[in-house]
Amino acid sequence: MASNNNSGSGHDATALPIHISSLTKKYGDLYALDSVDLEIRSGEFLTLLGPSGSGKTTLLMAIAGFNRPDSGSIRFGEQEVILTPPHQRNVGMVFQSYALFPHMSVAGNIAFPLKLRGVSAGEIEERVTEALETVQLSGLGERGIDQLSGGQRQRVALARAFVFGPRILLMDEPLSALDKKLRERMQIELKILHRKLGVTTVYVTHDQREALTMSDRIAVINHGRLAQVDTPEVIYNHPANAFVADFIGESTMLDLDQDKAGNLTYKGSKISKPPSGGNADGWSLVVRPEHLSIMANGKASTDRTIVFKGTVTETVFQGETAFSIVAIDDDTELLVRFGTGSKAKSTYPQSGEQVSVGLGRDDAILIPREDQP
Amino acid sequence: MTVIDMEKTAQPEQALHAGELQRQQSREQWSLLSLVVPALIVVVLIILIPVGWLFYLSFVGKDGGLSMEHYLKMVQYKSYARTFVTTFQVSVLTTLICILIGYPLSYFLALLPPRWVGIFMLAVLLPFWTSLLVRTYAWLVLLQKNGLLNDFAMQIGLWDSPVKLVHNMTGTLIGMAHIMLPFLVLPLYNAMKKIDRDLMFAAANLGASPVSAFWKVYFPLSLPGMVAGSLIVFVLCLGFYVTPAVLGGGRVIMVATQITAILENQFDWGAASALGVVLLIATLLFLYIAGRLFKFDAALFGKN
Amino acid sequence: MNIKQLAMGTAMALVMTGAAHAEPITVVSWGGSYGEAQDKALFTDASKNSGIEIVRESGASMSKACLQVESGSVTWDLVVTGSGGAAAAAAKGCLEKIDFNVVDVSDFYKNTYTDYCVGSDVFATVMSWNTDKYGEPGSEGAPKSWADFFDVEKFPGTRAYRANNVDGALEPALMADGVPADQVYEVLSTREGKQRAIDKIRKLKPHIAVFWGSGAQQAQLMKDAEVDMTTGWNGRFDNAKKDGAKVGYTFNQALLDYDCFAMPKGAPNKDTAMKFLAEISKPEYQANLPFHITYGPTNKKAYEVTTAPKELIEALPSHPNNVPKMLPVSLEWYAKHREEALEMYMELLSE
Repeated sequence: MASNNNSGSGHDATALPIHISSLTKKYGDLYALDSVDLEIRSGEFLTLLGPSGSGKTTLLMAIAGFNRPDSGSIRFGEQEVILTPPHQRNVGMVFQSYALFPHMSVAGNIAFPLKLRGVSAGEIEERVTEALETVQLSGLGERGIDQLSGGQRQRVALARAFVFGPRILLMDEPLSALDKKLRERMQIELKILHRKLGVTTVYVTHDQREALTMSDRIAVINHGRLAQVDTPEVIYNHPANAFVADFIGESTMLDLDQDKAGNLTYKGSKISKPPSGGNADGWSLVVRPEHLSIMANGKASTDRTIVFKGTVTETVFQGETAFSIVAIDDDTELLVRFGTGSKAKSTYPQSGEQVSVGLGRDDAILIPREDQP
Repeated sequence: MTVIDMEKTAQPEQALHAGELQRQQSREQWSLLSLVVPALIVVVLIILIPVGWLFYLSFVGKDGGLSMEHYLKMVQYKSYARTFVTTFQVSVLTTLICILIGYPLSYFLALLPPRWVGIFMLAVLLPFWTSLLVRTYAWLVLLQKNGLLNDFAMQIGLWDSPVKLVHNMTGTLIGMAHIMLPFLVLPLYNAMKKIDRDLMFAAANLGASPVSAFWKVYFPLSLPGMVAGSLIVFVLCLGFYVTPAVLGGGRVIMVATQITAILENQFDWGAASALGVVLLIATLLFLYIAGRLFKFDAALFGKN
Repeated sequence: MNIKQLAMGTAMALVMTGAAHAEPITVVSWGGSYGEAQDKALFTDASKNSGIEIVRESGASMSKACLQVESGSVTWDLVVTGSGGAAAAAAKGCLEKIDFNVVDVSDFYKNTYTDYCVGSDVFATVMSWNTDKYGEPGSEGAPKSWADFFDVEKFPGTRAYRANNVDGALEPALMADGVPADQVYEVLSTREGKQRAIDKIRKLKPHIAVFWGSGAQQAQLMKDAEVDMTTGWNGRFDNAKKDGAKVGYTFNQALLDYDCFAMPKGAPNKDTAMKFLAEISKPEYQANLPFHITYGPTNKKAYEVTTAPKELIEALPSHPNNVPKMLPVSLEWYAKHREEALEMYMELLSE
């Protein structure tokens, strides 16, 4: 077995890039992975994001070796691992269910990979202690698994995954079973831990906020294909297609027409020129609620602002923000989000009020139109 | 439900409805407890009283007075000790055979996609719906000297003269294992089904080869089911009568066989009861020792 | 349990006798061909003629009868049993005394009734063998005596012998060991004598492939040629032969024994049952038994009134020609020695 028992610091020594090319996996007639090409950089935190059934977990399981793809290649660094059985891949993994061994203590669980690698008893003890410290569970080594809280189990699973110094760490929705507060705290902790360990980390989630919070890069997956791979900022602000725009963040999609001069218009009013180099049959405008603002009724579009006119259907207070639903025509509604601050509730747009809704031209996101909703 | 008046609860000395709520709580506990009553009655009626009666009878001698004669006779004649040895031997061997066959079978069933499990489970359970006697005689037809198996094996040249497969220990064990198998497979399968597949993935991911993942993770987790199944099989075997009588050819004499012989020949309830009592005590003793040796309770109830 | 109930009695019977208002009595026999033969030869006609209604059950067993008596809930009126079983049950106080003012046994063979039971049929425990292997009975080279049964050099092959019950197990061994038939029970009355029989069987034990537990099993063993020679009850082998088994037997040195009807103490319809017992003990009913099973009548007069053909009559164990060849089973011996003999035999079996 090619093992790597290094643990500790130093990015280059401890991380491996993953090269995935033409990876295909079919279940019956359904493509779980449809010729996926993905380069995961050494030491980066990459999140596979997609709805359930998109293929994100299939891809992760293929990297771990738990399912057998139909074709393609997976390389860890220079080494082709597509044929390597899972126990020889030497990657750490945190499971959604944690998969802690119920018949072993906390220390027993964490020592498990070390024992298999023939590490001496003394060193095992040392490294288990160190790992417990890292996940802030010092002194809980002798506990049984059933005596731990959900968050503690999570940490044990994490410790077990990195204690043997893998150069790749996989995580399959590890935080989904935790309550919201704990989840948000763990997100930060995981990020800090990743920075400390420096291992290449592939993280699966269906929670876009989690993906945006934690990732160096996000690979959005849909129907077994990569919809977009980029940094959270780019994914959010410049979605490459309708799916990404829709899946990440809140948005309303407006189908645009093109006038004789080539300008894109919505219901006759000019929105913008088509993006340069863009080559599509048609374009849609992606409108995010936080990019919109309620303006006094009767404002017109300017060079800086596109203005939609509509009627407020409902206004909802949600704590630090509130939003209004504004119907701009019979079948299109825009969501307008605004900060609440110290604003009195009486100043919020009222149902039935006629308003203008402004969108900064810099915030106008254009994507190629797709027939699919 | 009682509506709590906020103003009044503010006065701790006169906690509102405290007495009623307490009574309601204890009423609920009593009514819960009363659920056990039918079971208790059944236990007393069909277990404690007959067993007590059995104890009593075993000390009643031929002349009707209290006597140890039945127990003395068991010491006097070697056949009794031999019968007990045979009984435990058959039970242990049957249990072992059931484990050897049942464990891989349960493992296979547990890995099978759900729609296939039904069919295979049916094959395992089918014997349950056939009369014990029919199944036992079916083995006789298969295994006897001029039976199907010997005929077939001789026809294809596996062996030249009939092999003695029945009317001995071999036949008894085959028949017993067949009948007992479901009692092992059901709890074992159940235990295996509960083992999270992710645990095996985790073991592999952490570097365990399939073999070592099995022994270090799967097997220990399936152990409670195996122990439960084995205990059921073992205890049931101890009281078996029909199968050893038919397939053992009169050579495999179990305690139940001897009890029947005593009853049929001498109508001696005392002697038969004494055998029953000794079997009961020997069984409890065996389970206690085995429990101490193998930590059954930990395996069964999940203590560490 | 296979309980077959047959309620009998007809309007005609009601008119004919005063017993019409009596409760139906419960008559218990064994299952299979034995019980059927009794239904056909005895019970149906006797019920019709006497007007006594009967309920028929199977699963006759003296131990169950005793259990009924001891628990004070007797439901059986007449129960079929082996002679030894009846003697043991009588000794335990489980049986009613037979009222010989009602039941006429004046024409019975002696030793086919006791104070507690009335013989129903005479059978023999014989040695039977596979005729393909050892020849037809009476032919040259065929086995003739218990000595042949125990001689595996002269008659190589496998044997079957009685399991878990000592009835008829020790006598053949002694005769094979050279004890004259009329001294068998005398020898068996000492522990040494019993040990001598046990030792003889122990020598044969490696060749005993099966110990049989029932009459059905005896027939099956011969039908399937599972063993070459076995002990067993003559009627079972005749039936097996009818079914195509290659089986023959000899009455020579066979053990002459009888089955009988007994009445559990406190039988619910004691008087009616006694009358019914008197009815079925009449020769005209017993005369029909050989048509259904080759067990002989206990009532000598049955030979006079029977319409059965000569060959059938001569094949019955109680036929005067056959009786002298056999050793009548001694109930006194069983009453006294059965327990010790059984313990010793079980010891041998469990070795």
